[in-house]
Amino acid sequence: MSRQSPLALSLRHLTLVVISFAMLVPFYWVIKTAITNENIYAYPPGILPRDPHLFNFVDVWYLIPFPRYLLNSIIVSAIAVIGNVVFNAMAGYALTRQFTGRRAVLALFLSCMLIPFQATIIPAYLITAKMGLLNTYFGLAFPMLSTIVCIFVFKAAFEAVPKSLIDAARIDGLTEWRIIVRVLLPLSKPAIATNVILTFIWSWNNFLWPLLITRDPNMQTLPLGLARFLSYMEDTTGALYAFAVMVLAPSILVFLMAQKEFIRGLTSGATKG
Amino acid sequence: MSGHGGWWGRRRNRQLALIVCFLLPSLIVFFLYRLLPLGWNVILSFQAWSPLKPAVWIGLEHYAEMWTYDDTFWIALKNTLIFIAASPLAIAAALGVALLVNSDLKGATVYRTIVFLSYPLMAVAVGIIWRWMYDERGGIINFALRSSGLIAKPIGFLQDFSWALPSVIVAEVWQMIGFYMIILLTGLQSIPQNLYEAARIDGAPAVARFFRITLPMLRPSLFLCVVVGILNSFSSFDLVYIMTNGGPGHATELLITHIYKSAFEQTKFDYAAALTVVQFALLLLLTVAANKGAGGNAGAVERD
Repeated sequence: MSRQSPLALSLRHLTLVVISFAMLVPFYWVIKTAITNENIYAYPPGILPRDPHLFNFVDVWYLIPFPRYLLNSIIVSAIAVIGNVVFNAMAGYALTRQFTGRRAVLALFLSCMLIPFQATIIPAYLITAKMGLLNTYFGLAFPMLSTIVCIFVFKAAFEAVPKSLIDAARIDGLTEWRIIVRVLLPLSKPAIATNVILTFIWSWNNFLWPLLITRDPNMQTLPLGLARFLSYMEDTTGALYAFAVMVLAPSILVFLMAQKEFIRGLTSGATKG
Repeated sequence: MSGHGGWWGRRRNRQLALIVCFLLPSLIVFFLYRLLPLGWNVILSFQAWSPLKPAVWIGLEHYAEMWTYDDTFWIALKNTLIFIAASPLAIAAALGVALLVNSDLKGATVYRTIVFLSYPLMAVAVGIIWRWMYDERGGIINFALRSSGLIAKPIGFLQDFSWALPSVIVAEVWQMIGFYMIILLTGLQSIPQNLYEAARIDGAPAVARFFRITLPMLRPSLFLCVVVGILNSFSSFDLVYIMTNGGPGHATELLITHIYKSAFEQTKFDYAAALTVVQFALLLLLTVAANKGAGGNAGAVERD
């Protein structure tokens, strides 16, 4: 826009610095607590950590079945990510083609987007129980195997591929499968990245669904482990906060590495909704 | 199948079969976990059913019970509405931030990343962080308020009947504001710059440009934010469950926590299904109202 006076500009920066500071305080506070071992309830609390150390992280690894929760979370996220990339790419491709009932399928997808998962938990639980999938990895990942927003991400990416390229491939005698794998997917890497990132973060953070369908502690994922830790370790050391930091770290890393793809996924869902 | 005739032999049919196969996995997921549950949920709400008893039709009995006897339902409904009503404030704040980081400001990307950083976090961990921030003894909020002399005695924010709900909402806003900002930024960037140039040539002051160009052009983005704010009353389950689990008493009980407790703690699946129908209807109603409102408001601005 127009040039701003230096005063206006510095006011703008000042406001943004204050806002950023407020947004970052919770991060600082949890990290500070996680690396402190003094009585965390002492008053006044130290603003800077005294004798910072990493024992709390070691404690978390050994005190609770952290490796098991981690393994479960990774397996469920992996199933969800693979399912999403494959199924969404297939559905996205199908939607780029003309066929009878295309509009009906599109309308169906768009209306499914308006149904929040939380509004379906009771029958979803009963259905999963009927299929015998309670306490299983597949049951945990099933509702997340395909995501409508991500289907539209693929559809948009495939539509952006020049038609002439696909026609040329078809003339060369490539089958539909080959066209998808050899032509469309290599040109849609950002869409794949968006799918992987969104699905990973959704699945990694998912709490309500595992809470409903896993009773067996061996099948529980990290968020459940964290909630359980909270309920029986409430008044102790910074270990709970070390646990929280360990759980947050992967999603923050993924987000910082692939912010662009993440945002693209969210905003393309936005323009379709 | 290699013959020239036959169903499979025709290219059109073969392609249709391929398309159906491609759509099938996704359709199965959405059928099993969106459509079927929604329908079943409605049916269940008119039945008396528990896992070991056969279902009996009882019409509107659950709804009547909810209306007359379930005090928790009314509290949860009120809290849910307060929760939803708070989201426009968060959206307004996010719009402020979006306007500040829009344009070629130096360091805009850094500010944007910081504000957005809380959005992709696990709500369970966010709940734990905020519990700790609000803590009566070791929490930084009480520390800051006490050392600046604003309060003399520490406040147990999450244990206090009047503070608990606003405190949870603040945590929720902290997590959501980055999302709203990103959506609004995308909206801002899609506004054609020549509109502003024309307005500037006409001598329209900044305030008029904001109300006559920015706000009307942002309508779709704002509407989306409002819808997400409404849906959040459902998806904030994690945060509320961790921070207060609906307490103290029912001070932070939302419909979704009430649904969860009725179904999975008291095994009243049928009654919880009726509660779900009410909340879903509420969401649809509010979304339609927001849609109407967005049109109406923006129209008024244009007429001005």
